[in-house]
Amino acid sequence: MNIVWLDEPQAQDLSLVGGKVASLSKLAIEFRVPHGFCVTTLAYQNAAAHLTEEVTRAYQALAERSGSAQPSVAVRSSAVDEDGSAASFAGQHETYLNIRGADAVNEAVVRCWQSARSERALAYRRQQGLANADVKLAVLVQQLVASDVSAVVFSANPVTGSRDEVMINASWGLGESIVGGTVTPDTFVVSKSNLQVMERALAEKTRMTVAVEGGTREVDVPRILRAQPSLMDEQAVEMARLAITLEATMGYAVDIECAFAGGQLYLLQCRPITTL
Amino acid sequence: MTHSQPEPITPPENFPVIWENPDDARLLWSLDRLHWPDPITPMFASYYTDIFNVGRMKAAQYYRRPTAALRAIRINTYLYETTILLSVSDEEQAARLQYWVQALEDTFARFDEFWAEQLTEIQEHWAFWDSFDLSSAPWHRLLAHLDETLVRATRLWEIHFIVVYPVIAAMSQFEEYYRELFPEKSSLDAYRLLQGLSNKTVETGHALWRLSRQALASAEVRRALAQAATAEVLHALTQSAEGQAFLSALQCYLQSYGQRSATWDWTHPSWIEDPTPVMNNLKAFIHPEARDPIAAMERLTVEREQAIAEARAQLAGYPKPVVEKFEMLLRAGQVGTILSEDHDFYIDFGGMYRVRRVLLEVGRRLSEAAVLPVAADVMMLSLPELRETNSALPQLNRRAMVEGRKSELAYWHNIAPPARLGTPSAAASPPDNMMVRAFGKMFAPPLTSTEANVLRGYAGSAGVARGRARVLRTLADGHTLQPGDILVAEMTSPPWTPLFATAAAIVTDTGGVLSHSAVVAREYRIPAVVGTGTATQVIRDGQMLEVDGSAGVVRLLPESEII
Repeated sequence: MNIVWLDEPQAQDLSLVGGKVASLSKLAIEFRVPHGFCVTTLAYQNAAAHLTEEVTRAYQALAERSGSAQPSVAVRSSAVDEDGSAASFAGQHETYLNIRGADAVNEAVVRCWQSARSERALAYRRQQGLANADVKLAVLVQQLVASDVSAVVFSANPVTGSRDEVMINASWGLGESIVGGTVTPDTFVVSKSNLQVMERALAEKTRMTVAVEGGTREVDVPRILRAQPSLMDEQAVEMARLAITLEATMGYAVDIECAFAGGQLYLLQCRPITTL
Repeated sequence: MTHSQPEPITPPENFPVIWENPDDARLLWSLDRLHWPDPITPMFASYYTDIFNVGRMKAAQYYRRPTAALRAIRINTYLYETTILLSVSDEEQAARLQYWVQALEDTFARFDEFWAEQLTEIQEHWAFWDSFDLSSAPWHRLLAHLDETLVRATRLWEIHFIVVYPVIAAMSQFEEYYRELFPEKSSLDAYRLLQGLSNKTVETGHALWRLSRQALASAEVRRALAQAATAEVLHALTQSAEGQAFLSALQCYLQSYGQRSATWDWTHPSWIEDPTPVMNNLKAFIHPEARDPIAAMERLTVEREQAIAEARAQLAGYPKPVVEKFEMLLRAGQVGTILSEDHDFYIDFGGMYRVRRVLLEVGRRLSEAAVLPVAADVMMLSLPELRETNSALPQLNRRAMVEGRKSELAYWHNIAPPARLGTPSAAASPPDNMMVRAFGKMFAPPLTSTEANVLRGYAGSAGVARGRARVLRTLADGHTLQPGDILVAEMTSPPWTPLFATAAAIVTDTGGVLSHSAVVAREYRIPAVVGTGTATQVIRDGQMLEVDGSAGVVRLLPESEII
């Protein structure tokens, strides 16, 4: 079982696919999550033969499903003890964005595995009291959404701790500039009770991550778009609804990454809020 | 440090200034060498104040332009202007700026439609003039027609500036946006996406080129054009049947494209009245080394589409609002580039040609009544003087006044006017907004060079060319330009455009990357360096030059470096 698709039942087997994929797979049933497949922990542990061919075939199948000959994908690691409620592994493993073509995908999968053994990742695991020996890593290959606006949404206000509010940080382009902290995003606070935008703090958004040939790049936002709101109120409310629904489904306060692309809202990640 | 009162500028000895209104000496007056480098007639001066400037002020009100009002006076026959700051509160100033920028941006988004509306009205004004039978109108009806003409001319200038502000801003905004998206690109790279679109100026040049092909097809016509001096060509053409056929084609051309004079000042004869500039261009176009401007335009189109495709491919992974803004500003910049020439065709030339015809008819009646020597001398009177003459007809004889003014114009024509007069203000540098930046690219302050034999200006049009300098003071000298020569001029207005098909490169004293000279040089795909400040003074006729239009540098080469 080297390859598992997000919408297959096995994709919810935590030990096979890691935390990130298991939770995305659950979401993929109910929510609009980009298509993708997982290179499982078994493939990693067994250093499976012919894995390259299997990944290539899966990528071709993804191409058929997406209707594009060479779909752009994101390749991310998904560790087995990741995304547990105790510790968030946010940003601790490499992510490769805007990868096109089977060869490039295979190369990115191998790099994810290498990154799991990196000093930075191992140090983090020690700090969190996790064993280094039993690193079990799966890799997610998922269609890349060409985000017009990306957002990190909290189903509870992480600043005030209020559980009656949804807080949204949104900015132009792919989510990396928000997650990486290189841009000050717009902040919207939406009331859970009446779904009204209660606060709107528009920031001077100077940087954005965009898809370029062979990857992504962080560039300057043109001046005339910097102060323009990244979300209209209706869009902020649509994101808030998604976070509220996810919180109810999961049974805990969530921290999600989502994005608007071509007018559609995509769910990209969902984790428990670890700091409340 | 103490702030001392600014000292008045001392005018040059050969340019003494007597202020009609002594208060004016406390203001700063500037000469717009880009548009009015030459002495202006009394008619043009009073028209400028009473018609042109009134229209311009109305357009400023239309946009709630925040900066200032403008006033013009004629000093020693030259036109000087001053900027008068509006005395409004800071809040009002900020509100006006916001309105003005927003109104311009709103216009970008519907630029085609906006221009179609303006053009409809402009054509209604044209139709009004064209349907009036000037020569047979009774005197009182002609005078009423003159009054109505001036009202409509004022409105045309209002439209002119309502159009021109977004035109300049759109080109400038596109350039800035493009360079923000692609920081490694130059401003000339940005303008490549706006090039090769047909406009009335380009059309005027292309139609003349086709006429020159027609001339080459006939041995008789070719001989007349090649051998006769410009002044004799028309007569030589009447001597053969083929020549006469060509003359009627030339008349058609002039009716369509000849409603303009050699400068911006329409008080001078139009090409229809004096086709010398056209005949000079035809002579240049039949030269074996003349370049086909239509073929050059096709190359420009290919380059433009490649540059656009490349930009779009690079933006494929960018957020939609960024891409949509790019597409909107690209279209606005392209429309702006077309309209930067077309508005002249319809207003500055076609509209003012019609005003000129009305004034000439009034002049004809006055010369018949013997109060003026000839019809064209009506331009030696100001509008108030003309009204006074008309109502006193035929008592008020203006012949002596006209002669005096003609010799005054001739005298000052040979004296270089200073760039500034009056008293410099201690005002702060202008605020930074889109329109201030855009104007800065049109009326850019001249650059200076510290190196010997090197002139620095603005990169106006890419490429490098070497050739012999032809320093032209007026378009009337245009016939001296030979293929491969480098045209050196104070500035070039749209009527100079056909010379661009002959010149190897352009060098000007005035203007920036959005000045006519630079815009047109890009359309002809020849290198241009603009805004050198001193090219016409430093470069002598026949000097070997190397023009680097991409870098904005002109090198004066030693004679030994002849190619």
